[in-house]
Amino acid sequence: MTWNEWLLDPNPKSRAQSRAGQAWLQWLRFRRNHLAMAGLFITLALVLAAIFAPWIAPHDPIAQSLADRLQPPLTPGHLMGTDDFGRDILSRILYGSRITLYIVGLVILTAPVAGLIIGTVAGYFGGWVDAVLMRITDIFLAFPKLILALALVAVLGKGMENAVLAIALTSWPPYARVARAETLTVRNSDYIAAVRLQGAGATRIIWGHVMPMCLPSVIIRVTLDMAGIILTAAGLGFLGLGVQPPDPEWGVMISAGRKFLFEQWWVATMPGLAIFLVSLGFNLMGDGLRDVLDPKGAR
Amino acid sequence: MTLLSVENLRVTFDTETGPVQAVRGVSFSLGRERLGIVGESGSGKTMTGRSVLRLIRPPGRIEADAMVFDGQDLMRLPEPQMRALRGRRIAMVMQDPKFSLNPVMKVGAQLTEGLRQRDRMSAKEARTKALAALEAVQIRDPERVMEAWPHELSGGMGQRVMIAMMLIPEPDLLIADEPTSALDVTVQAEVLSILDNLVKTRGMGLIFISHDLRLVSRFCDRVLVMYKGRVVEELAARDLMQARHPYTQGLLNCLPRIGGPRTPLPALDRSAAWAKE
Amino acid sequence: MIEIDNLSVTFQASGRVVRAVENVSLSVAEQESFGLVGESGSGKSTILRAICGLAPISGGSIKIDGKPVTPQTKAFARQVQMVFQDPYASLHPRHTIDSVLSEPLAIHGIKNTDTRIEQALTDVGLPPAFRFRFPHQLSGGQRQRVAIARALMLEPRILLLDEPTSALDASVQAETLNLLTRLRETRGLTFLMVSHDLAVIDHMCDRILVMQHGKAVETLTREALAAAEMTTDYARALFTASADRMLA
Ligand SMILES: Nc1ncnc2c1ncn2[C@@H]1O[C@H](COP(=O)(O)OP(=O)(O)OP(=O)(O)O)[C@@H](O)[C@H]1O
Ligand SMILES: Nc1ncnc2c1ncn2[C@@H]1O[C@H](COP(=O)(O)OP(=O)(O)OP(=O)(O)O)[C@@H](O)[C@H]1O
Ligand SMILES: [Mg+2]
Ligand SMILES: [Mg+2]
Repeated sequence: MTWNEWLLDPNPKSRAQSRAGQAWLQWLRFRRNHLAMAGLFITLALVLAAIFAPWIAPHDPIAQSLADRLQPPLTPGHLMGTDDFGRDILSRILYGSRITLYIVGLVILTAPVAGLIIGTVAGYFGGWVDAVLMRITDIFLAFPKLILALALVAVLGKGMENAVLAIALTSWPPYARVARAETLTVRNSDYIAAVRLQGAGATRIIWGHVMPMCLPSVIIRVTLDMAGIILTAAGLGFLGLGVQPPDPEWGVMISAGRKFLFEQWWVATMPGLAIFLVSLGFNLMGDGLRDVLDPKGAR
Repeated sequence: MTLLSVENLRVTFDTETGPVQAVRGVSFSLGRERLGIVGESGSGKTMTGRSVLRLIRPPGRIEADAMVFDGQDLMRLPEPQMRALRGRRIAMVMQDPKFSLNPVMKVGAQLTEGLRQRDRMSAKEARTKALAALEAVQIRDPERVMEAWPHELSGGMGQRVMIAMMLIPEPDLLIADEPTSALDVTVQAEVLSILDNLVKTRGMGLIFISHDLRLVSRFCDRVLVMYKGRVVEELAARDLMQARHPYTQGLLNCLPRIGGPRTPLPALDRSAAWAKE
Repeated sequence: MIEIDNLSVTFQASGRVVRAVENVSLSVAEQESFGLVGESGSGKSTILRAICGLAPISGGSIKIDGKPVTPQTKAFARQVQMVFQDPYASLHPRHTIDSVLSEPLAIHGIKNTDTRIEQALTDVGLPPAFRFRFPHQLSGGQRQRVAIARALMLEPRILLLDEPTSALDASVQAETLNLLTRLRETRGLTFLMVSHDLAVIDHMCDRILVMQHGKAVETLTREALAAAEMTTDYARALFTASADRMLA
């Protein structure tokens, strides 16, 4: 029996086989969507760049060399040119991907989880629990994201960790909303009534029955928001509140290149392109995931 | 006069595990009459109905030699025109009302949405029309139902709301997929008489999908019996109880009867030959 | 076994008061099969849901074995289970049959999950190979069997059946009804069953209660139904409209 047959067996022999088979089917469906695959490759490229930055970067990202300052792209040894301190832009972008990935990773681990819990609890219990949790959510939603993050960083102090915290704290409300909306559509369903009748408690129902139904919409929302998160991080860096120089963060790099935008366009444009490409990658992947994970598709 | 004619309709799902043929070469034509489609679960009744509206989601695809509605070939019609037809000239009552109604929108809002957007009616006019439609399908307190959320409706009320919603735009062709399966016999009779009236007075065409054989034989003019994506028998509805095909006979034998014996009901023996081309 | 006395259920919905059930009394004996029929929206499902604590009771009492019910507790779950009307809506779309059936065992801390699940599948006539399938890989009738198997996992004595076959075609309906009859005989179950098909009710139930507008209209025995000995107009109207279901 080949792997493919084992995975697509209509009568799986074990829980693991059935899970794996289901995942394999979703992957096959995802693979058909070329744009989504392009998005996946971009994301993978980001991860690989972050892991292998020390090996593939041609130069030290923070070593200055004033003799080589502001070299245009395609100069021998400096594929993307150099900045005003003579640092190699390509190397800085490659190392910068580590910071971007770090921020993105931390935000993914915190904001959606918080949003999911708050949203499902609010939606499942309804009544005053819902009212309180949703008013809190509304307060967070009422401020523009960047402004709120700015205020938080101003309180917490500058630095990358605080920037991540600020972004996480400002980005959970939309996930809570999505999760709550999804919870409202499932909480009156017969399959929830059926587990209640078996004596299941609220934790068990929310964790095992409600959350799996909300997860796809939240995951999709997260991938679509990724671009926004990267931009907020860049924005904070741009304003000098996030990652501090000389660390190579893309937003900080744009901010530094701003001064030379007309004469030495590449200094700001190269990191800008990197942000654009990665955001696009996440967006395309999110669109593809929507088609694969949409619970309405899995009838 | 033919309202709809379908020739050699095929619906195929290109799944990851290979193609699944849900409908395999179905042909029929429909005048301004009541056409019943019966058959067991999974025989392709719903897919046949949805194909007429081109509402098959990928990976499903529709093929047909011809599918002509009122002089227009539905297979060739561009999507914008198709969208204009849907709901307005061809309507479909979906099988699963709880699934088809939007769970987070009040019933009244869903009923009036089309009227307000498509026909640019005032809120008041639309409301009056929606109330009348609910009353027509025997909803006891339409005012309350307008304000209710879908989960507050009983099974049968949900079905009737769906029917009301589909009848409001006065379509020329109605595809009703198990529209009365959750209704008791008296309310069912009222709802059927509305449909009947529309066919008789307005000349609406009706495709009535159901698994209630006795209902179909009483209510429809003609019946298609489907098995595994094919039409195995087509006959006048009043002859359904004397059907010849062993599959149809088998289905009829499965039915319990008032005053009948308490012995186990006969099960259906499926023969592979019925599915052959 | 089940004693319902003067039950009223009132919903408060969007500022309006809906009296879904008004002063309905009924009693079901041990191992009896009792049918509820009546107009759509007359409160049949609401009675079943009220027994399970899924609807707000505003008056009257529900007793099982002479004791007031304590719904949604573990003890109650082992006594009463419900099968819902729509097999497409009553199974979680992302859970395999295996997890649907093992959930009640996990909640109640019952051991030998594997043997019990295999036994349950055999009992409802599903091949063991279906154990790790997802609901969307099953037909309507197979799903309804899974729902019945789930209800039987805790070995309850009472089964509440809300239109268990109205979404099923004739052949699958016959299979499901045969299955229910067999299970009732072998396990000595008590059924409270809603249906709008008088032929199904007649095939399954010993006594029936006819309902309209949330009120009880008339109680009939099976013999009285077959002999058309009803006294109220509504019950007669139902019977006449079901004329095509009579034994020819
Ligand atoms: N997305 C899909 N992928 C693969 N096969 C599908 C898909 N959707 C439907 N089918 C298949 O199409 C066939 C016809 O389904 P259809 O819904 O038309 O049946 P039906 O006659 O309406 O049955 P029922 O009485 O249960 O409603 C079924 O065998 C089903 O397995
Ligand atoms: N959660 C709820 N909130 C408000 N009203 C409700 C709710 N649930 C049910 N109702 C109302 O209670 C009444 C009885 O509903 P029920 O579901 O018991 O009817 P039924 O007899 O089962 O009808 P059917 O045969 O159509 O399923 C209906 O008018 C319905 O609108
Ligand atoms: Mg169908
Ligand atoms: Mg009901």
